[in-house]
Order: sequence, then C-alpha cells, then structure tokens
Amino acid sequence: MERHDVVNAVEKALSEVLEQPVTGLTEEVRLFEDLHLDSTSVLEMLMALEDAIDVSVDPENLDMDDFKSVGTLTDYVLSQQTTSGV
Amino acid sequence: MSTATTLERIESFLPERSVRIDDVAASLGLRRAEVGVFRKIYGLDRLRFDPGTGLFDLVLPAARRALAALPEGRRVEYVIYAHTVQAVAPPDVDTAATIREGLGLHDAEAFALTHQACVSSLGAIDLAGELLRAEAPEGAYALMVTGERAYSPKVQLIPNSAVMADAAAACLVTVGGPGDEVLSFVTRTLGEYAAGLEMTKEETQGFGQVYGTVLGEVINEAVDAAGLSFDDVDLVVPHNVNMVSWRQTIKEMGADPEKFFLDNVAHYSHTYASDVFVNYTTLRDQDRLADGRYYVLVSVGLGATFGAMVIRHRKR
Repeated sequence: MERHDVVNAVEKALSEVLEQPVTGLTEEVRLFEDLHLDSTSVLEMLMALEDAIDVSVDPENLDMDDFKSVGTLTDYVLSQQTTSGV
Repeated sequence: MSTATTLERIESFLPERSVRIDDVAASLGLRRAEVGVFRKIYGLDRLRFDPGTGLFDLVLPAARRALAALPEGRRVEYVIYAHTVQAVAPPDVDTAATIREGLGLHDAEAFALTHQACVSSLGAIDLAGELLRAEAPEGAYALMVTGERAYSPKVQLIPNSAVMADAAAACLVTVGGPGDEVLSFVTRTLGEYAAGLEMTKEETQGFGQVYGTVLGEVINEAVDAAGLSFDDVDLVVPHNVNMVSWRQTIKEMGADPEKFFLDNVAHYSHTYASDVFVNYTTLRDQDRLADGRYYVLVSVGLGATFGAMVIRHRKR
C-alpha cells in the first residue's frame, strides 16, 4: 500500500467518524490542532481504518505520538499492516 | 475473639441471556466505529442483559444462597442493599425492605446505600462490620446484597468508558467468623467529579487522566494499611469497567498484569456494584483462591470514589 492510499483511507475514515466530508488532507495536517480530534475520535478513526484497509491495531501498544499528524498516522498504519502489500 | 470483619459466604447471579455489545449498540446510539473502540480497545464483547428479569428476580437468588450459609441459631441484624444508580425502582417501592421480606428476614434492619456508586458494595461491607461491632449482639450477621439492571440506555452507557450489564451478588458478613478476613479498606473521593454521568467533556477528560494514578495509589494504600506489600498479594479482584482503564492503572503501578483478574471484562462487562463479587465467585469456582493468601477487591464509582479492600482468604 502506498502512502497516498493510506491518506485516502484516512480521509474516508475521518469522514465517517466526524460525519462530514474530509478531503484534501496533506501529511502536514495535525489531527488534534487542525482537525480538532480528541483521543476518543482518534480511536474511532483507527477502528474505521481497520474496517476499510488491511491494518490491525494493537490495543496494548497505542502511543498518541503516532497520531500527531496525517504523516505520522500514515507511518503508523504502514507499520501495522498485517501483510507487506508488495 | 477477633474483631475483624469476616466474609462468610459470597454468591453471585447472572441472567442466562447473553448478548454481544453489537446487539445493544443501536439502543445505545453507538456508531459502528464506537462499537469498534469498545470491542477492540476497551476489550468488551459479551454481557448479560435480560429486560424480562425483574429487579427482585435478579437480586434474590444470590442473596438466598449466601443466606443459606447462616449457621443454625444465628441471626441477621442488617440487610444492606448496595446499588450504583440511585433510582432502581419506582419511588413507592422500598427496595431494601422488599429484599428483606423476600428473604424472610422480618426482624432485620434493612436499608440501602448508593452514594459511592460502584464502590457502595465494598462500603456496605465496611459499614456492616462497624455496625456489628458497635451495637449488634455477639455472633450476629449482616447480609450485603447487590444487583441492578441496565434498565435504560441512560444507565447502560457510560460514554467512552463502559457498557453496563445485569448481575447480582450477596455477601454474608460477621465479626470474628471463620470466613475471609477483611484486613483493610481504603477509599478516596474526588468531589470535583461529583457530576458523574453529567460531567462536562473537560471534567471527563480530567477524570480519565487521573484515574490510573489515583486507583493505583488507593490499591497501594490499602495493601500498606493491611501491613503488606504488593508482592504479598496473589490477585487483584477488580471491577470490569474496561481494559483501557486497567492497562493504565497497571502501568502507573508498574505492576505485573498477571496479578489482575480481567478475564470477565469480555464475558460480563461492568455490572454496577456486583463486579467484584461476580469475579470472586468465578475465581473460587475455578479454585484460584488459595487458603491464607491475600487478595485486593477493587472498584471505582462515578462521583467519584476509588475503593480497595484487602482480604485474607480462608478455605472452608
């Protein structure tokens, strides 16, 4: 899976969680400051991502630092993918 | 004779009807992603939930079984009904008196305790011991009873925390008996979170931030008050609020996660003031409570009270 595919999936997941369309995200966008997410909505977004793409969240090892921006979230998603996607 | 409070018989009762949290999601207004968080992150799965069971049908079976351990010729002085939600029945129903009559304990004094929410049951045991020591005839008993139904979405969903479920329990208490000995009981109430279910978003976040630290401190204070160290404790017998709160608490304590009995979180979810006793009976039935060993009964009540009771188990 390429980085832009992850960003597209994040847009869809956020649209579901925030119940409004989210488009045009770039990796610099900050989840808390710019999109006004909180720790609860971040978790809901991860669950929506799990439903949509091949990623599995480990609840024992969640670090909010991974969710600072769309870029760090993309790094996290790619690191948690259950298959390489290559 | 020892003057310690002793727990002579603990029983619990769960309705047969078991549902998945997905089955109650619609009535609770939970979106799919929210159910996902409860399931994957909070570790919830199934719960007992039977709208067809009346309050007293839920409460009385465990109470009757605990009462059956009352020795011949002994008397129950107090029936204490401990519950979390303040209104569990219509206002013209005196729940504690109805339970007393249902058990045939016509001469006992019956009253309810509720203001420590899900810690009320541990508080009721502590109070039972105090009353028995202070004013009851020697050899008298008290019966602590719990049990309430998740009768409305308003009392079933604690947003971002728990999905409540049905269960009941009972504990026969005396002073200086052969049962589990209560060595300490510590509570801490944080009045700034008194709004409970009506807390603002900021208060809820603040409560979440201090939860693990305060709960860990209260557990350690109770262990210390019992003259023990946490290494002496076999198991923490906790409330089933969710896995996130317990992971946070265990991390704050720097404790071994194996010392916390969390298996029932996924089976039964949080059952108001009954969790600790449901979990105790599960452990006893699995022969996981060892004679002479130490256990910490722990719960947290919205409002907010943190409570921990250290007991020494005695097989009998």
